Amino acid sequence: MHVLVQESKPWPAMGQNEPVPSLLLIEDDDAIRTALELSLTRQGHRVATAATGEDGLKLLREQRPDLIVLDVMLPGIDGFEVCRRIRRTDQLPIILLTARSDDIDVVVGLESGADDYVVKPVQGRVLDARIRAVLRRGERESNDSASFGSLVIDRAAMTVTKNGEDLQLTPTELRLLLELSRRPGQALSRQQLLRLVWEHDYLGDSRLVDACVQRLRAKVEDVPSSPTLIRTVRGVGYRLDTPQ
Amino acid sequence: MTPAQGGVRGWAATRKGHLSRLRFTSLRLRLVVVFGLVALTAAVSASGIAYWLNREAVLTRTQDAVLGDFKQAMQNRAGTLPSHPSQDELQRTAGQMANSSQRFSVLLVAEDDNGRTVYGSSGGLDGFSLQDVPASLRAAVNKKQSVDADSGNKYAYHLYWQRVVEHGTPYLVAGTRVIDGGATGYMLKSLEPEAKDLNSLAWSLGIATGLALIGSALLAQAAASTVLKPVQRLGVAARRLGEGKLDTRLRVSGTDELADLSRTFNHAAEALEKRVDDMAARDEASRRFVADMSHELRTPLTAITAVTEILEEELEAETGSMDPMIEPAVRLVVSETRRLNDLVENLMEVTRFDAGTARLVLDDVDIADQITACIDARAWLDAVELDAERGIHARLDPRRLDVILANLIGNALKHGGSPVRVAVRASDASAGEQAEVVIAVRDHGPGIAEDVLPHVFDRFYKASASRPRSDGSGLGLSIAMENAHIHGGEITAANSPEGGAVFTLRLPRDASELAEESEKDTAKNGDA
Repeated sequence: MHVLVQESKPWPAMGQNEPVPSLLLIEDDDAIRTALELSLTRQGHRVATAATGEDGLKLLREQRPDLIVLDVMLPGIDGFEVCRRIRRTDQLPIILLTARSDDIDVVVGLESGADDYVVKPVQGRVLDARIRAVLRRGERESNDSASFGSLVIDRAAMTVTKNGEDLQLTPTELRLLLELSRRPGQALSRQQLLRLVWEHDYLGDSRLVDACVQRLRAKVEDVPSSPTLIRTVRGVGYRLDTPQ
Repeated sequence: MTPAQGGVRGWAATRKGHLSRLRFTSLRLRLVVVFGLVALTAAVSASGIAYWLNREAVLTRTQDAVLGDFKQAMQNRAGTLPSHPSQDELQRTAGQMANSSQRFSVLLVAEDDNGRTVYGSSGGLDGFSLQDVPASLRAAVNKKQSVDADSGNKYAYHLYWQRVVEHGTPYLVAGTRVIDGGATGYMLKSLEPEAKDLNSLAWSLGIATGLALIGSALLAQAAASTVLKPVQRLGVAARRLGEGKLDTRLRVSGTDELADLSRTFNHAAEALEKRVDDMAARDEASRRFVADMSHELRTPLTAITAVTEILEEELEAETGSMDPMIEPAVRLVVSETRRLNDLVENLMEVTRFDAGTARLVLDDVDIADQITACIDARAWLDAVELDAERGIHARLDPRRLDVILANLIGNALKHGGSPVRVAVRASDASAGEQAEVVIAVRDHGPGIAEDVLPHVFDRFYKASASRPRSDGSGLGLSIAMENAHIHGGEITAANSPEGGAVFTLRLPRDASELAEESEKDTAKNGDA
């Protein structure tokens, strides 16, 4: 394990006073790991790397990175399993790095709790943009709060409580809930949500939204299979309702 | 409307079934006819011969007995008459003669003393008269034969007989003359009992023939079934085989020619299945190879791509900082890496289609927005004229639509030259046709040669063999086509009458049915 910090280059997209985001890259292929580490470091990230899922989980406990870039195909426990294990205790953002061609793998990855995914061969710039977009989701914007039934969204503290209990939401889930709560009762299309939450271009994968809505429902709804807060608007997208 | 249609269709189907059964029974019919003819010929000839032999035997026997009696009576009674008997004598004698066991009527004709012809009749049988005796018989009876020892004829008059039918009843008529003058005697015997016997015999024989015919028909049916059932099974099996069920086999029973045929069929099916399996395995192996290869290429390519970007930034950032000898090399590496990336990406896409693992990720998109975004993202806004109204929505895979559009527009820009005109039309669902979105991409180039037109969607097909390299991977249009197909759509290429090539993309407004699996996932999330 080695941590590369390159401070000689200015980071184009970030101000000098902003903290340098620390990433954990879990990738088994040496060449890809080295190349991505080089590229990401150059983009201004602090990068720790691990070659296996086990090493990655160990490093995660020691280092507390801001974000994890996780390869799906790993020796030993695979990326999906790593993702699931992290989600059991942690809500930090995970971006999957998938070389798989089958679309079904993406679905499995999203269901196991990933926030976003990129397909290899990935351009460093794209990965960097995704990383920054994911990190921005945890940023505070306003200082008000809103309540929907027993659900209270505190935009100042960036916390969500249900019946007075704190809910553990990932930054993506939180951002999705914030975007929906900003327009209560108004349906937002999947493409709109992809732009607002994931900052994807017009080709965003709508399954990201579906998977995240499903995870969010599991946390905020009383009965996730018959949601009363986050409603599906057929042919359009989703809508946050105040329960009657 | 619908039930009526169903009814008609049902009727047509039944009719078809009848027709096919009729067609099937034609061999059956032929067999039955042949069997029937054989049985008929055999039965008719056997019965005919039997009938005629019987008839002759019965008639001859009766006849011989009657004629014998008659002859006897003539000798005993008529012979004792005087040569010119009186009417009474004749009458009495006739009555006596008729009173024999054979129950025939007798008519005696003679000349009395005065030269008058007198008749003596036994009566009965409606009054036997001379009119009942055929003239030819009378002539024969009255004809005097020359008595000649050489020819063996010892008598001047012979006994003649004839069978006649009167009022539907057969009769035996016979006559003779007492030699050396005297009466001429005729006799009439009804053959009705014999005729009745023969009739019932004929009936029995007819019934036997009928039974033989029915039996032969049944036998023919049975024979036809034993032949036709295997033939039918063979037909069904052959059809199944044709439908691609290559594991179809026939049960072989017996050692006849049909069993041989079944065995041959089984061998053929086995060989076919093996061949198809081999080919499928080889096909699968080559597909796997391409898939594996593109996978394997992807790993180093990922590393190279990540590093190439650093080189690229170096080129862009501080020109002149790089060794002028090395700079072109770096540029080449950067551009070729991008090309290789595209190629591998396209290869992966193709293998996904070939393996059938490509899935639709559906979303509701505004077609005009999608096209604008596509040309905007590739900086083609200046070269493309868009003729589309906003608000045409379709449910399809936006990424795949982008791939199609990028390939069609990119191809038009490369080969046709700008301005490229993109026109969008939408059709609503009408009778029998689903709602469609039609996107036409027209360039202003020289068009496509007629012999190239059918091949534009082929993989790695380059319009001109003399052109060694093109910027594209050679897979673009074929991938566009596959992407249209997976939506249930189609792309056609043609030359516009105003010049230039036109590629027309047709996509259904709602591809949900084709993507039922992905739709099911979406529905799981839904609550409405």
